[in-house]
Amino acid sequence: MNTLIKVIRTEQMKLKRSPVWIAFLTLPAISAFFGTFNYLNNLDLLKSEWFSLWSQHSLFLCYFFMPALIGTYCSCLWRLEHTRHNWHSFLTAPVPRLTLYLGKLFHAVLMTVLSSVWIFTLFYVCGRLCGIQAPFPAAASEWFVCGIAGGTAICCVQLYISLMIRSFALPVGIALAGGIGGLFMTSKGFGLYYPYSLYSMGMRANNPQREIDLVSFCVNSAAYIVVFAGLSVFYLHKHEMAAG
Amino acid sequence: MAAQNLIETSDLTKQYGKNICVSHLNMQVPEGAIYGFLGPNGAGKSTTLKMLLGLARPTNGSITLFGIPVNEKNRVRLLTDTGSLIESPSYYGHLTGEENLCIIQTLKNCPKEDIDKVLHIVRLEEARHKQVNHYSLGMKQRLGLAAALLGFPRLLILDEPTNGLDPAGIQEMRELIRTLPSDYGMTVVVSSHLLSEIDQMADHAGIISRGRLVYQNTLEALHSHARQQIALRTSHLPVALDILRQNGIEAAVEEDYLLIPMTDDACVAHLCRQLISQNLSLYRVEKREKSLEDIFLSLTGKEHSL
Repeated sequence: MNTLIKVIRTEQMKLKRSPVWIAFLTLPAISAFFGTFNYLNNLDLLKSEWFSLWSQHSLFLCYFFMPALIGTYCSCLWRLEHTRHNWHSFLTAPVPRLTLYLGKLFHAVLMTVLSSVWIFTLFYVCGRLCGIQAPFPAAASEWFVCGIAGGTAICCVQLYISLMIRSFALPVGIALAGGIGGLFMTSKGFGLYYPYSLYSMGMRANNPQREIDLVSFCVNSAAYIVVFAGLSVFYLHKHEMAAG
Repeated sequence: MAAQNLIETSDLTKQYGKNICVSHLNMQVPEGAIYGFLGPNGAGKSTTLKMLLGLARPTNGSITLFGIPVNEKNRVRLLTDTGSLIESPSYYGHLTGEENLCIIQTLKNCPKEDIDKVLHIVRLEEARHKQVNHYSLGMKQRLGLAAALLGFPRLLILDEPTNGLDPAGIQEMRELIRTLPSDYGMTVVVSSHLLSEIDQMADHAGIISRGRLVYQNTLEALHSHARQQIALRTSHLPVALDILRQNGIEAAVEEDYLLIPMTDDACVAHLCRQLISQNLSLYRVEKREKSLEDIFLSLTGKEHSL
């Protein structure tokens, strides 16, 4: 445990001055801006106040922005090691490889949690600015928790992809395509089985009154987390540094 | 060699596809030594060092560090006592030199004061708050060495540590490496493709060529391989060769010179008189020494670059 805390601390140090925080702040803000703009322009159709506003906020965010944002987080985390010969120092640190991976996963999930906090803060502020007087919906806490669970599954998938692919942009592109694919999979009823749909389903994107099978949702999220975390750790064990 | 070896490899082999990079290597590095690991580019130096650090897995053979087998189970324990600088220095460019060292110090669990000590050793104290992206190549190399020194490990593995340094930096790095065993009780393995560099730093040498260890002993023993000869240049080589034969001396012809084994002054004077008495002009009489570079080339093959 002590070693894990040390690894988490070092990963935190590495993220200092990282440009990833620009994406962290701007993407949810852009999404909130467009969502609020849509809501205000369609008030005659959107009459459910918080739920209506959420349907507009979450539409772009959960299918387009958030998978790409998680992809960016994961690419940033591994890019630190992919560049400037850092694999050498990373893998010669006297720390088990599983712990090294958990340090990366912790930060990917932490940034997803912080993004969700930022998303809900923007949602609340935009709602109040739009003049919504009703109390903040209690169901939002469930959306938040389910969003984190689904987001963690995407983190594990994207960490594996970014670990294997040295490019920064390609894994982000895969995440973006995955998010768009999620829209299709959800519409066909396969959302629970597709990792990039889990976040939007958990967040009840576009439809806050949607009922989901929570047991299947949790089991599938856990399955993606375990399988892709396992693949990443296996890769770290088997991967060799080629002679330069 | 000293009785206790800090590093021992046995039949160490590494194969990538059909390409054998390291072949049946039996490396022995005594404790407290500066072991110069010498070989032409592509000879297998970096691959060997990576296997020592667990960054590459041997296809065959075994390695022990500190008498402990190198395997996954012992990996963390062995790396705790090992510092390394492989190929180019690793660094996070957006962080300062001190922040980079702080990451290694935290992972190695060594005292925070070590950061000040290693920055002082590599003379980077004034640049400690500067982002590493703004460092020169030499400064990055020194930072890499500082990171390897953190925790003052028992074993330091340095792969071509003078790469990218200017002549003053190279000299400084060599002097620093020379002091590490006496000042901090370290054993140092330092690789290079430059014989002169190893000659100035190391007390033991291992020469690798095409993945095979072709020489391993003290540097002193390598020097003793250097052979002395007398070179003669005369106006008529075949006649001179006959005269030497008549005096019982077998000479080798190399370019315009006759090379004879080292002999005493009286014998040289006698041979010179003989040549002149036969109306030959004697242009030069030189003492020649087979240099370390010649020995290196003869061990590794002349087709390889130095």
